[in-house]
Amino acid sequence: MRIDFFLVMAALLFTIGCVGVLVRRNIIVMLMCIEIMLNAVNLTFIAFSHELQSMTGQVFALFVITVAACEAAVGLAIVLALYRRRRTTDADDASLLRW
Amino acid sequence: MHLLTGLVIVIMAAALARAIAPGRPILTALGGGIAAAALLAAFHQDLAGTDFWAGTIGFLAILTALIVVIHPNPMVSVLSLIMNLLCLALFYLLLQAQTLAILQVIVYAGAIMVLFVFVIMLLNLKAEEGLRIGRGVQRWGAILGGFAFAALLLWALRHRQGHAWMEPGRHAGEFGTAASLGGLLFGQYVFATEAASVLLIAAMVGAVLLAKRRLD
Repeated sequence: MRIDFFLVMAALLFTIGCVGVLVRRNIIVMLMCIEIMLNAVNLTFIAFSHELQSMTGQVFALFVITVAACEAAVGLAIVLALYRRRRTTDADDASLLRW
Repeated sequence: MHLLTGLVIVIMAAALARAIAPGRPILTALGGGIAAAALLAAFHQDLAGTDFWAGTIGFLAILTALIVVIHPNPMVSVLSLIMNLLCLALFYLLLQAQTLAILQVIVYAGAIMVLFVFVIMLLNLKAEEGLRIGRGVQRWGAILGGFAFAALLLWALRHRQGHAWMEPGRHAGEFGTAASLGGLLFGQYVFATEAASVLLIAAMVGAVLLAKRRLD
């Protein structure tokens, strides 16, 4: 099977995740959209790993999963701290560092 | 052909998800029927082949990703994201990455998504009234930018160079097994593996510190 299908799928998933991060204001949903983007990248890695018959892409995908786990843990801890302090999960309400 | 199919899939999925969001069942059924008909028409030659199943899984993946973005209730978003991750695990299986498919199900759909579900239940988040998305410039900029980005990615894929620079690696026999993956992890990439473990410990300490009630 040709990998173009998987590359197109990964591109579309990445775009959906990217638009989600930009459009949604709920921090938890934004984190989920980041997960979608990371998964799209993983799909690209694995598709090329299949096409090149090289395991390196799969190792990279494994590292991406590791980083995604760290990101989810720290991000959700930040969401908890923010909610405890401000009673909100809206990204627009945490605008202290905005210009 | 694949490009066209992907576009048809995403347009139909968008129509379907858009129909789901305001809660109008007739539109939902209509969108689903059209999408299914388009899928059948696109794959009518090889109805039982791998292409058909890949197309169906891809349709599900795009649809669930759109629901994650569009749906106002975070709980529905999480459940649909789990579905999306399972679809991607099936993709990994199609691409001979068995170990990563299992890891995807266990680590991603299991462990990480449990974190999301836990936080949403803990904060007792309700569905947003209306869908609070960015205002004015932000919203239309994001949507236009998204379309432009998709067009750019698809254009780049269309003009991808041929297969001249590819050659089979030496792992052709045991491709994708846990043994070959582990051999690479603890052989060639052992340093990166150790760095990943340091990263995990740092993230754990950081999460504990951030979630503490007071920092003294």
